[in-house]
Amino acid sequence: MQVYLPIAEMSVDALLLLGIGFGVGWLSGLFGVGGGFLLTPLLMLIGIPSAVAVASGANQTLGASVSGLIAQWRRGNVDWRMGLTLFAGGLLGSALGVQTFALLKRWGQVDVAVSLFYVVILGIVGALMVRESITALLRRRRGSAPRRKLHEHTWLHGLPFKLRFRDSRLYISVIPPLVIGFGIGMLSAIMGVGGGFMLVPAMIYILGMPTAIVIGTSLFQVVFVSANVTLLQAWQVGSVDIVLTMLLLVGGVAGAQFGAAMGTKLRGEETRALLGLLVLSVAIGLAWNLLQTPSRAFTISPIS
Amino acid sequence: MKGFARMLWVLGSLFGAGMASAAPITAELSTDRVEISTGFTGASVLVFGATQNPLGGDPPEDLIVVATGPTQGVVVRRKINVLGIWLNGPSTRFPEVPGFYALAGTRRVWEILPEEERRQYRLGFDNLRLRNEGNRNPAFRAALLELKQADGRWQEYASPVSRAGERLFSARIAFPDTVQTGDYQIEVLLVRENRVIARQELSLRVERVGTAADIASLARGQPLLYGVLCIVLAALAGWLGSVLFRRN
Repeated sequence: MQVYLPIAEMSVDALLLLGIGFGVGWLSGLFGVGGGFLLTPLLMLIGIPSAVAVASGANQTLGASVSGLIAQWRRGNVDWRMGLTLFAGGLLGSALGVQTFALLKRWGQVDVAVSLFYVVILGIVGALMVRESITALLRRRRGSAPRRKLHEHTWLHGLPFKLRFRDSRLYISVIPPLVIGFGIGMLSAIMGVGGGFMLVPAMIYILGMPTAIVIGTSLFQVVFVSANVTLLQAWQVGSVDIVLTMLLLVGGVAGAQFGAAMGTKLRGEETRALLGLLVLSVAIGLAWNLLQTPSRAFTISPIS
Repeated sequence: MKGFARMLWVLGSLFGAGMASAAPITAELSTDRVEISTGFTGASVLVFGATQNPLGGDPPEDLIVVATGPTQGVVVRRKINVLGIWLNGPSTRFPEVPGFYALAGTRRVWEILPEEERRQYRLGFDNLRLRNEGNRNPAFRAALLELKQADGRWQEYASPVSRAGERLFSARIAFPDTVQTGDYQIEVLLVRENRVIARQELSLRVERVGTAADIASLARGQPLLYGVLCIVLAALAGWLGSVLFRRN
């Protein structure tokens, strides 16, 4: 069944979009991440213009994360103060990211830039995840429990503008969360992802937040930053396709429930190793496309 | 059905007018509107009509049908390899090219018309006026032709002008799903002895209708409101979906 996408100005098989939505939703439910980093490259692969893929990907991430945020908020797992601090940085970062995106589009380098961002970011994150989970698995086999200090003091704790984050049991400077929020916001705008897969480790390892409230607080940031990206992309680039978003969401929400049910049967380290491998393979696939000699030496695009 | 009834009516009036009519060609379109709705996958429009003299008589007469869409500006970029990565490199701009171009004929135009005539009526890719700014490398023009043909927006002899009986003719124009909205001109030319002896111009409008039209016009006219709407809809869909699936 073909459906015409009014902003992408092309027709695509609706079942294919539902299927992609379902598959990505299933994986995101399984691993507990938004799945934007899989969705946007897949959309580009089936021929959706990259500007539309990124903007609609952000819009889809918003929809896919909302129910998670509500569930976490009900359980009291959201640190509002931390969430707002991260979001303040994210607001600025995503605004700058959309401007950068519009500029890249004018230069005709969006496709390459988006792919490059994916290769670099996913490559680094994927490699770190795989390494971390392998050491964890090896340590478990050896039977020695990991020893970590309860509270580590680094130069980050010497920064000014300290604020008490009661729910996170932290008294730290607002600068690190602002910078982290800014960075993730920027990547979110350029890559069309929520950024949960980068935000969660950053909150645990850099900010030192307790694991229990990390997911809820990161969802807070993801939902509001992707809402901001959606708004700015619709306003300044004009590339959010709501028909595409809706089809992906219908498949995605259904898939996420199945994935989440299966995810409870997997162990933490194994899940993280699998997720790391998945992230790494997306990065390698995109890198391959960048390095391969293109089938056509020229491209055309309308003058906007 | 509407198109078919219209065709019958036109054919009827063609015969009614009889051979006494002075017009050397009479042509019509199966529809003067192509509607892009949510289920749009491309469209095909029939150009049909009759000639006063039998086609292929002595001296032989030939028909050419050429369809042109609204002009657009296009940038053609060449990919270059920088440190192993393929980037978009040098580019050239064609400020005015037809967004759609389709040529069909009973014979190839170069067999039946001299170059000046072909140029005057812009028949064939070689005779399209493609002015470009910036890089003058002819490879860009060749690439433009190749890519426009690849996505079906420029066609040369993609389908023939076919005859039925001595005087009736028809040709099919296929619009791909990526077709632009706007006004399209369809010219029917009658050729005899290396000259265009008669021409008729028809017009066609491609427009969005229904939901697709509403979405596109809202996104263009009120992007801020559209952005807010996208946020609300996605959030609602996500929330509603999770509520529905949790029960199962």
